[in-house]
Amino acid sequence: MKKILIILMAFLVISSCTKLEDLNKDTKRPTAVPGVTLFSNAQVNLASQIASVNVNMNVFKLWAEYWTETTYTGEANYDIINRTIADNAFEEWYRDVLMDLKDARMIIGAATFPTEAETLAAKNQLLIIDILEVFVYERMVTLWGNIPYTQALDIDNIQPKYDDAMTIYKDLLVRLDTDIAGLSTGGTESFGGADLVYHGDVPSWIMFANSLKLKMGTILSDADPTLASATINSAIAGAFTSNADNAEFYFLSATPNTNPLYVDLTLSGRQDFVATTLITDYMNPLEDPRRAAFFTFAPDTNVYLGGVYGQSSPYADFSHVGDVITTDPTLPCLLISYSEVEFYLAEAAARGFTNGTVEDHYNAGITASFDYWSVDGAADYIASAGVAYDPAKSWEEQIATQSWIAFYNNGYLGWTVYRRLGFPAMPVAVDATISEIPSRFTYPVFEQTLNPANYAEASAAIGGDLLTTKLFFDKH
Amino acid sequence: MRKITILLAFLFLVGANLANAQTRTISGKVTGSSDGSGIPGVTVQVEGTTLGTVTDIDGNYSLDVAPEAEVLVYKYVGMKSVSITIGGQSTIFVTMEADAVMMGEVVVTALGISREKKSLGYATQEVSGEDINQVKTDNFINNLQGRAAGVDLKVSNNFGGSTNVVIRGATSLTGNNQAMFVIDGVPVNNSTSNSRAQEAGGTGYDFGNVVSDINPEDIESMNILKGAAATALYGSRAANGVIMITTKKGSSHVQDGQDRVGITLNSSVQMGKVDKNTLPAYQTGYGAGYGPYYSGGDYPGLSDETNVFPGVDGLVVPFTEDASQGQAFDPSLNVFQWGAFDEDSPTFGQATPWVAGSPDPSDFFETAWTLQNSIAFDGATEKSTYRVAYTNFDQTGVMPNSSLKKNNFSFNGSYDFTDKLTVSAAASYINTQGEGRNSTGYSQNIMSMFRQWWQVNVDVNEQRDIYDATGRNVTWNRSGTHDAFPIYWDNPYWQRHENFETDSRDRLFGHMMINWELADWVNIMGRASIDTYTELQEERRAVGSIATRFGISRGDVQSGYSRYNRSFMETNFDLMANFNKNITEDLHFTGILGTNIRRTNINSIFASTNGGLVVPDLYAINNSLNDPLAAIETDSKVGVNGYYASVSFGWKNLLYLDGTGRFDQSSTLPTDEALYFYPSVAMSFIFSEMIDADWMQFGKVRLNYAEVGSDAPFASLIDTYSKPAPFGTTLFSIPDTKANNFLKPERTKSLEGGVAMNFFQNRLGFDFALYKTNTDNQIMDVAVSTATGYSRKWVNAGEIQNQGVEFIITGAPVVMKNFRWDVALNWSKNTNEVISLYEDVTNMQLGSFQGGVSINATVGQPIGTIMGTDYVYDVKDADGNITATYDQPIVLSTGYYDVTGTSDNVIGDQNPDWNGGLLNTLTYKSWAFSFLFDWQKGGDVFSLDQWYGQATGIYDDSDYINDLGNPVRNSIADGGGLINPGVKADGTPNDVRIEGNNYKAAGYARSPNVRYVYDASYIKLRNITLSYSMPQSMLAKTFIKGVTFNVTASNVAILMKNVPYADPEAGLGAGNLQGWQSGVMPTTRNFGFSVNLQF
Repeated sequence: MKKILIILMAFLVISSCTKLEDLNKDTKRPTAVPGVTLFSNAQVNLASQIASVNVNMNVFKLWAEYWTETTYTGEANYDIINRTIADNAFEEWYRDVLMDLKDARMIIGAATFPTEAETLAAKNQLLIIDILEVFVYERMVTLWGNIPYTQALDIDNIQPKYDDAMTIYKDLLVRLDTDIAGLSTGGTESFGGADLVYHGDVPSWIMFANSLKLKMGTILSDADPTLASATINSAIAGAFTSNADNAEFYFLSATPNTNPLYVDLTLSGRQDFVATTLITDYMNPLEDPRRAAFFTFAPDTNVYLGGVYGQSSPYADFSHVGDVITTDPTLPCLLISYSEVEFYLAEAAARGFTNGTVEDHYNAGITASFDYWSVDGAADYIASAGVAYDPAKSWEEQIATQSWIAFYNNGYLGWTVYRRLGFPAMPVAVDATISEIPSRFTYPVFEQTLNPANYAEASAAIGGDLLTTKLFFDKH
Repeated sequence: MRKITILLAFLFLVGANLANAQTRTISGKVTGSSDGSGIPGVTVQVEGTTLGTVTDIDGNYSLDVAPEAEVLVYKYVGMKSVSITIGGQSTIFVTMEADAVMMGEVVVTALGISREKKSLGYATQEVSGEDINQVKTDNFINNLQGRAAGVDLKVSNNFGGSTNVVIRGATSLTGNNQAMFVIDGVPVNNSTSNSRAQEAGGTGYDFGNVVSDINPEDIESMNILKGAAATALYGSRAANGVIMITTKKGSSHVQDGQDRVGITLNSSVQMGKVDKNTLPAYQTGYGAGYGPYYSGGDYPGLSDETNVFPGVDGLVVPFTEDASQGQAFDPSLNVFQWGAFDEDSPTFGQATPWVAGSPDPSDFFETAWTLQNSIAFDGATEKSTYRVAYTNFDQTGVMPNSSLKKNNFSFNGSYDFTDKLTVSAAASYINTQGEGRNSTGYSQNIMSMFRQWWQVNVDVNEQRDIYDATGRNVTWNRSGTHDAFPIYWDNPYWQRHENFETDSRDRLFGHMMINWELADWVNIMGRASIDTYTELQEERRAVGSIATRFGISRGDVQSGYSRYNRSFMETNFDLMANFNKNITEDLHFTGILGTNIRRTNINSIFASTNGGLVVPDLYAINNSLNDPLAAIETDSKVGVNGYYASVSFGWKNLLYLDGTGRFDQSSTLPTDEALYFYPSVAMSFIFSEMIDADWMQFGKVRLNYAEVGSDAPFASLIDTYSKPAPFGTTLFSIPDTKANNFLKPERTKSLEGGVAMNFFQNRLGFDFALYKTNTDNQIMDVAVSTATGYSRKWVNAGEIQNQGVEFIITGAPVVMKNFRWDVALNWSKNTNEVISLYEDVTNMQLGSFQGGVSINATVGQPIGTIMGTDYVYDVKDADGNITATYDQPIVLSTGYYDVTGTSDNVIGDQNPDWNGGLLNTLTYKSWAFSFLFDWQKGGDVFSLDQWYGQATGIYDDSDYINDLGNPVRNSIADGGGLINPGVKADGTPNDVRIEGNNYKAAGYARSPNVRYVYDASYIKLRNITLSYSMPQSMLAKTFIKGVTFNVTASNVAILMKNVPYADPEAGLGAGNLQGWQSGVMPTTRNFGFSVNLQF
């Protein structure tokens, strides 16, 4: 009996012991994946971040004063601390977009391909990745000012230093030139279906890069007019020429891949946003036909009515976001639009950077916006008093106001127009604790605690980590 | 394995009753030498067997012994044992003397090794099974509260929820700090399957810690091993201290010369009521809304609408506003409230008086009931012991539709094959069924609604009645006058009855053990043990609910179903040789040489519907509106091979020296770092042996030093990709946490000293311990700047230090013939400090919470500081130089507080300054009465409930008469408003009056976080028990051997606290992130009655 038990025991011990080396393996997740899958994912995250109107992430439709909040007015009043919004945005851009792009670049760059066509395609892929990175950094630099750049995305350096915003901006322009020059067309493949914006079409990416360059040149107009002019002039020929060129990211009809705005406004069932008096007061006198796309009538009325920005505005009293926007889960996110390009060209002409006609581009920008929203009556609108371009009046006010309306579905652009040109005349939120419109995001709270020395240095360098600190391009 | 255990178990059970023989009866009385009174509870045993009995309350005993029995041994803690040769006697009277050195006290130490307590060079503390089983609870650990020094328990108050058990402070920054549980030498898993999101305040449930599966009815005693020296033989996983549980074993029941089966029946019923002291008290002056702006006229706080019903105009509640800053109540004013709009409501179409809802939400809570019934059979013969027990536990909670059911079967037995070979086995099977656990955190939590976002005009009973009548989600929080769909909050009864979770767990743990005495100085122990469970957690959202984050994608959906299946299995194989030898007459040696092989396998799968349900009330993945997303699978297999040795020398009952060493080889570390060694040494010196004093019976000093190594969590070495839901094309993503293939074991070093003494014939005793523990080279996933492309990274870094003091004082102030008063006091203080973090990092965010507060580890501060925005006390000039500093907060010219622009200010610390417990036990004849107080001093908590609830104006303290003698909610023009205490920038007292009738008057909108950080100190009367045992004389002629009645009350009263309207202990559950409250559950006060019968 004794022996039997001992044998039994020994048997159990031996039989149940797998070797240690065979353990600790994650058998459910891959250690190597195709690079293009990371590129696709970065695009999804990029588009989601821009399209979102979630108050935890993207508050720019508020800060552009297209919308205001009904009951919980914190974000409209520039509170980004309570929901750590800057932290969320920083994380989304660096970790969920740029890092995936970087890894895609590393995987694709390290691979070898059997055919020359595939090798060329891979080269194109790397350049397109670079263009998207420039697009992302452009947005981050104009949001925060100085940010980690040369030392970013390196896990071996967990306290990256911040680079000067203007220096980054200039470097981004150099990168764009290299990318544009390097892309090979002529039927050469790039990402194919893994590219969720242009489906691998290389000429479209070249136009995208030129349009981005045009935008960046415009941003620099006050800060460095010479560079701005040169940049704009070199980009014009390659930029978008119609809405067909738009960089659009189409969402899918089923969760979780719908436009996040559809989640925030429709699926959530919430009633957080209504139009502002600012936009209705601009659009109503002009009888702007786009109102029907942008907003609903105020409940039980047949007028468009907005709430005072930053003040509690009962949902039952004011215009809501239009059905065109709220009922379409696939509503695309516009990364850069033709309308945007035309307004930049109008501005370049007004500044004397180019020989173009301000009015032509101004009209083209408005028309493109009408076309985009499938709204008729652009010609009448352009001809109407209050819209028709008048060279005798401030070009800033006219271009800014009309581009602000045209950028309605991209709050960040709308807010940036105000930051650059000072129009339309936006009132400060009524319950704000600061006395002017924010010029930037403050740095994430976690940077204060995780990267304190560099945080302090960057804050000092830009003139203080405040919402109201003016950034390098903001000279109006 | 499982089958074999059960088979063996039954084998023993059958075998146990075979041995019977002729017997004779011996009776007598045991008295004390000091006063001659009978001593109850003395163990009387036949030497060399497990046969025995205990004396009754008067010291009398009666025992049937076999003819060949020669010697009876009498044992009692604190008395010298007595051995009497039976000879021809049938009546034996015994006198016992107090024992100077407390010879007999044996405790169970690491690996289940029994040791004399006096020989231990480290601190342990015992708690009897009875102490933790008087009050019936779903988690026996809760009954440890206040009874053990150095154990910091935090009871979350969640139904079936987890309890945080940290011994001697947190040693790990990001890892597990929970104590380890061991039953009869076998580790049992105590994980929680709460999600990381739930722990950080996200939507979810607290599924409890699985050690609550242990049946308190089976517990004989618990021994708490606090320091690293005590636990060094367990290695890595015991660095947080160990709670050793010894289960009840079979004992002999001899009657009329027959071995018979002892039967114990226990039946209890307990009733629970919420403690209103831990619930909001609502103001009753003002109803729904955020201020007087919904209409013009006399009632601007209400919406003045035309055609409310065709042709009917009137005042309507602003339904979408989940706040109570609105129109003042006026019973003569009739208003269309939610009931007016539902045709099944008794007030359909009617405007009803504008008054505070009555009853308020405290009426939402029901009476909780706990029924527990158990039966145990046990017995012993000369060769065997056995015990078989079954317990049924059936509990309902204070929230409607909540229940927790457990069925617990356990068996243990032993059999001596020969004098030299003993085999024993134990197995427990537990089935747990939970339903309707409360949501935790901010969103989707009824308690957040009641504590933060409520309209005090709502009558909860009307919400119940409409749900009962219609089964529909008719909520007070409509989307609009003509839109019945909920905007933020469902009808709470709908949520409880339709959107509930269910969970179940089937668990088996047990072991088989062989003890083989090779020679009188060496025996070999082999043991195989297993702990395995499978669990299923299902969540539902019924069609018609408001949208919330749900399922795999966490997208906003109005309905859905998700299931999470998880299985756990741990096996341990131990082979251990024990050596035991007197080297000389005075020098005694014991040694251990052993090996432990542990394998742990956890795998899980999480699946959910996507986008909602198609068919209402059909909760199946295939009822998904959109194509379901791929399920999330995990499969983790880890193992450790350990090799250990221990040597102990005892010299003349005077000096004991221990040394241990252990090698662990872990699968979770890189191969060349996988093997690591750690030692311990301990010394115990019984100085009372050298001093002959009447007033002192025992005195000992102890000192130890130990190191413990620790390995990494599963799969932290190699990077793997995460896979988001496909977007028409396959997506992969870099993971959020960077792996690290260069990890080394982390190491805890601990130094501990202590003194224990007993005085005045053991009427007074104390045990004092001092310790210092440093854990360095921590393996942690540090939060890093996301500019690195990751949010976390596995590193080896950092050092945490814990220093502390523990006191245990026990005394018997009064001892008389029939009356005795015992007092036990526990007191402990732990000071925790983060010595260093990673590289130049001086702060690490451990968790970030809604409200903008975070829980942090900062160099020079304790782990778990609360950071957020603070008041401003300094005045600065344009260059940022401080020109003045005040001792009061600065108030801006607007009348609101100046708030720091950043959230990196330390505004609190989740760690208590000290904890204490005081237990008084009074015994009079067969009656025993005890009451337990439990203290916590210090520790802070941020209350999101107050952060929002003060802004929404629901609490009674927000409706008061201001300094001008007017209601604060009058407009300033009407004499209302308030002046925030503080100073203006020029240092003069603030005199700027602000409006008191909107969300800015207090709460989140204009206050720093620090305003809603509260001191979590408390004094609680934790429980009171009264028990009565029927004297043996009354039972002598019956077949009943013992009857005990118990009346208990637990969570009787919170005598002192500073957190308003809530229990300072309440929270999200176990884990490193404490110090944040949102929508916490109220405390349940329980009253119970139980009967224990022994046959």
